[in-house]
Amino acid sequence: MNTTAPSSAAPDGPAVALDSVHKRYGSTQAVDGVSLTVARGEFFGLLGPNGAGKTTLVEIMEGQRQADSGTVSVLGTSPWPRNVALLPRIGVQTQASAFFVRLTAREHLQTVAALYGADREAAERALASVGLTEQGEVRVDDLSGGQRQRLAIASALVHGPELIFLDEPTAALDPQARRDLWQVLRDLKGAGRTIIYTTHHLDEAEVLCDRVAIMVSGRIAALDTPARMIAGGSPTTRLLVPAERLTLEAARAIPGVMAASLEADMVVLETLESGPVLARVDELAGLQGVQTRTASLEDVYLELTGAGAA
Amino acid sequence: MSAYAALSQAGYRAYTRDKTTLFFTFAFPLLFLVVFGLIFHGQNVEESGKPYINYIAPGVLSWGVANAAVFGVGFVLMQWRRDDILRLIRMTPVRLPAVLGSRYVLAIGIGIVQAVLFVCVALLPSFGLSLASSWPLALPVLVLGITAFLAVGVVVGTYAKTPEAVAAVANCLMIPMAFLSGSFFPLDAMPGWMQSLSRVFPLRYLNDGISAALTGSGGSGTIATSCAVLAAFALVFGAIALKTFRWSDKS
Repeated sequence: MNTTAPSSAAPDGPAVALDSVHKRYGSTQAVDGVSLTVARGEFFGLLGPNGAGKTTLVEIMEGQRQADSGTVSVLGTSPWPRNVALLPRIGVQTQASAFFVRLTAREHLQTVAALYGADREAAERALASVGLTEQGEVRVDDLSGGQRQRLAIASALVHGPELIFLDEPTAALDPQARRDLWQVLRDLKGAGRTIIYTTHHLDEAEVLCDRVAIMVSGRIAALDTPARMIAGGSPTTRLLVPAERLTLEAARAIPGVMAASLEADMVVLETLESGPVLARVDELAGLQGVQTRTASLEDVYLELTGAGAA
Repeated sequence: MSAYAALSQAGYRAYTRDKTTLFFTFAFPLLFLVVFGLIFHGQNVEESGKPYINYIAPGVLSWGVANAAVFGVGFVLMQWRRDDILRLIRMTPVRLPAVLGSRYVLAIGIGIVQAVLFVCVALLPSFGLSLASSWPLALPVLVLGITAFLAVGVVVGTYAKTPEAVAAVANCLMIPMAFLSGSFFPLDAMPGWMQSLSRVFPLRYLNDGISAALTGSGGSGTIATSCAVLAAFALVFGAIALKTFRWSDKS
């Protein structure tokens, strides 16, 4: 890589820089003043309910849509209008339907590779990286849902882009395929690639992402590392005790317990002081089978998106 | 492999692996040839004294080739846009001419195979077409005709959002045009107003040019005129196609 390139193409500039980006469709303000910066090599998660504007925001970054106002800089340059110099440097996961008809998985990837000016070996590597080598000769129409999704991801990786956009990449995958894909994503990050992805799997975002942004109604409601976001959220700890060993009354009588309820065969205690409460539970019921739940990214997410208010 | 070659190869594979479309692209014009050939077997057109087959063979061939060009690219573009393949292509550094060029080379190839097959059948004794020595001049007419109708197909594929819409719009254009341009009935046997009206349709010139090349009617002047007019249609439709082309419905 040319490390002497000046200012605009400097490899250490941010991967993406957005400044008060707006986008409106008719009377709907899809993106309402979003400013954020994604550093090179960062794994960045974009979370939010359906209709929050995630897809529009990503499409603006990809250069598929024009922002109404604000500035958009991707790898030091503007993605809009169609920027043929920028396109080979970014990879975009397509819909799992966007395959050249009646081709095999391998032929499809070879075609995509050729469109990017990459060679056949690149197609083979991309196929292997998503675990589809064995399905290489299967027609795209005959692939299963999960296989189609992995092929769509491979289409985004085939040309070795610096910046990769993935749209709910693990949505249709079974748990094993999902874990396998996590490894693919971690390897990409390890290779210095920047990844921006949207997901509804908050546990996954918590594990994979360097930073996450939670988007609500076109705005960024929170943006931080998952750990700091969780720490800043609800400090409540939930203790789950097998119901046959502790009654609700006894649980509510423990000092420091704010609330206790029965969920299935467990008594659930909510507290801000998990240490003393745990010690008391140990005396009353023993700690065997007792589970501790601290706040997760999901709790923070639900609180911010309003679904947790109920 | 270049992007153009890769897209052409992908298109070729998709086309040859779709046996139904493949069959009908070639069988449809032949079916018309058989029907009209048998109806008018051995008859001459009163007004000109020429055998019917001299009108019907070039006419049906022109219509078949034009029809395949419009439908082929119309369906592909609609389907590429619907299935987000156009978005995939748009996100690669491929230029639009390479994309349309790959469809162009396929359309030319299909048209030439159609024409060769069709002429071979028409030469059979039961149809009785006899080729004039100018028959190789049918090639430039064919290429220019396909270019013009391919451009029409690109416009259709840009606006149509479903296969049904492509079929409806393309049929609506091509079937009346076939009758009004004399593809199915000799224009020489039609009223004067219809002969005048036919001059606004590109298919009329494709008919004339192919007919002149294959049967020698009208001579090289007719072929030259047909080529010139088809080239003009190709330029105008091509400009409209490029002007209206959209990578996606997003903005």
